[in-house]
Amino acid sequence: MTNTRNIETNTNLSSPLGARGSLDVRGLTIDAKNVDFYYSEFHALKNINFEVSKNEVVALIGPSGCGKSTFLRLLNRMNDLIPGTRMTGSVLIDGEDIYAPNIHVDELRKEVGMVFQKPNPFPKSIFENVAYGLRVNGIKDKTFIEERVIESIKSAALWDEVKDKLNKSAFALSGGQQQRLCIARALAISPKVVLMDEPASALDPISTAKIEDLIHELKKDYTIIIVTHNMQQASRVSDKTAYFYLGELIEFDKTTTIFTNPKEHSTQNYVTGRFG
Amino acid sequence: MKRFFEKFVESALLISGSITSITILLIIIFLFKEASGLFTTPVIEEGYELALNKTNPVKHLTSYEIKEIFDGKISNWNEVGGKNEAIELVRLSDLTKYYTEAELGSNFENIPAKSSELTSKHPGIILFLPTSYIKKDFNGTLLKHETLHPGDFFGGKEWYPTASPSPQYGLLPLLLGTLWVSLGAILLSLPFGISVAVYLAEIASMRVRNILKPVIELLAGIPSVVYGFFGLVVIVPFLQKLFQLPVGETALAGSVVLGIMALPTIITVAEDAMRTVPRAMKEASLALGATHWQTIYKVIIPYSKSGITSAAVLGIGRAIGETMAVLMVTGNAAVIPHTLLEPVRTIPATIAAELGETAAGGGHYQALFMLGVILFVITMIISISIEFIGKKKYSN
Repeated sequence: MTNTRNIETNTNLSSPLGARGSLDVRGLTIDAKNVDFYYSEFHALKNINFEVSKNEVVALIGPSGCGKSTFLRLLNRMNDLIPGTRMTGSVLIDGEDIYAPNIHVDELRKEVGMVFQKPNPFPKSIFENVAYGLRVNGIKDKTFIEERVIESIKSAALWDEVKDKLNKSAFALSGGQQQRLCIARALAISPKVVLMDEPASALDPISTAKIEDLIHELKKDYTIIIVTHNMQQASRVSDKTAYFYLGELIEFDKTTTIFTNPKEHSTQNYVTGRFG
Repeated sequence: MKRFFEKFVESALLISGSITSITILLIIIFLFKEASGLFTTPVIEEGYELALNKTNPVKHLTSYEIKEIFDGKISNWNEVGGKNEAIELVRLSDLTKYYTEAELGSNFENIPAKSSELTSKHPGIILFLPTSYIKKDFNGTLLKHETLHPGDFFGGKEWYPTASPSPQYGLLPLLLGTLWVSLGAILLSLPFGISVAVYLAEIASMRVRNILKPVIELLAGIPSVVYGFFGLVVIVPFLQKLFQLPVGETALAGSVVLGIMALPTIITVAEDAMRTVPRAMKEASLALGATHWQTIYKVIIPYSKSGITSAAVLGIGRAIGETMAVLMVTGNAAVIPHTLLEPVRTIPATIAAELGETAAGGGHYQALFMLGVILFVITMIISISIEFIGKKKYSN
């Protein structure tokens, strides 16, 4: 492991990507240039250029199969797991090319956390779920792990509901609670960017509202990219919105602009619900 | 018309289903029925008697004691609860030592009288002779015909079904031989099998997997006699050289052959279990910065634990029931094994080797069926535990 951690003075894991922001602005910039992506022969993403500043919340919208999830998964190299895929172009996070050969994927994924569409807790206790990321990153200090777990569960707005049953199986939680547990788990390793792939699509309105509140909270500390099918959600939580269609990034602008005065006709059709 | 046809197919299916179930039940009932007579068979060969001098206080001998006496291992009556008196062992053929052929009669018509006389004169005698030579006025004690005690079977340390006058049906050497060989097999094959399963499920590229998997599955299709042949020609001499043994046909040879035979089962089942780990679990782990290896041993293996256990149990099941290959390489000495480097004999090998030589309905025959029952019970326990493990997986 290249980075060392100073447990006493700071609870943030240090960045393997080099330069890091001051404490109040922790998020990282993302800059994708001329990205093309293929599933075998299928051209899933076509020449995407996409830039995000620190601590922004960006919503990716578009009809199913438009490539928004694929693009999201490029940002922490999750697509590496799918055989037969190919990418050209470059993705810079905090100025560094994450597809460069000297980048360790596991180090990258500590910086760029991810929350999946379906809650996917491990078949372990609530505590162990959140502690997992710390443990696999070589942290052994028990008190530090405990503090960090509690802190993460609190910042995922789950503490009051689970504080008495941290040793119970995570499967005993409701879907919404499980999803917040997954968010807590992602936050525990102190990423700088959080990717969310339709985090509320499997949840009821109350749980969804909690997650959205949470995103507002998290914005202070993280750069957040969220894929959503829900227009209202996109308009509620995001600063900027990107509209994908058939593998192309059609329009990327301030959320208010996208929803009130989009430049492209296709975007307007989509956000007003005329198609998609 | 269509409806009638459907009804017809339905009842045909029902009939074939019930016939199959009934056949299986009948086989099991047959197994138990044939075995059930074992504990009512006399410990002394049928048609023979054991006679003692009337003054001898011993009125009862166990099957094992009789065998030890006739093997010369017990030579004094005080060892079996009698007086301090040397045991004088007399078989029918030994009568010529005491009497001339003339005295016994040209057609041996005097044997009953002479044996009666002999028994009454020698206080330490134990006489073994056919029932037909015992007359009413026989001057001596005839040992009561006892039946085989379950303890002698389940706790018996010797398997010697051809011993005369009292065959020994001790389960222990065979049971321990079976367990010994199976345990060795599972210890050898489990680590290998699971490593290969991990490799195939997680590490191997698609191309390697597409070649390796069918090859491993092919291993399962090789007849066991071929494995036995391979074991006999390759493994046995190799072990003999490696450990400087007098004979290479040992429990270890059986374990190695069985281990190889169990590998395909273990690999296939364990690999399938690992492949059923949801991708979401793997992705969750990797997304938290875990390396591939950390994901394998912290998520994939724990998640597929029940599948891996089933693989192990199925492998054991295969090993315990295997007959031919083991028969060929383990040396088949029915003694209680102390190390893996001794010849052993397993239950299935015993049945296969001995059933052809037994008289239907005799004690030996019933003892072999009882072995079959024991094997059946063991494998049933194994299947039930697989079922149990499988259920546990879903209850969580």
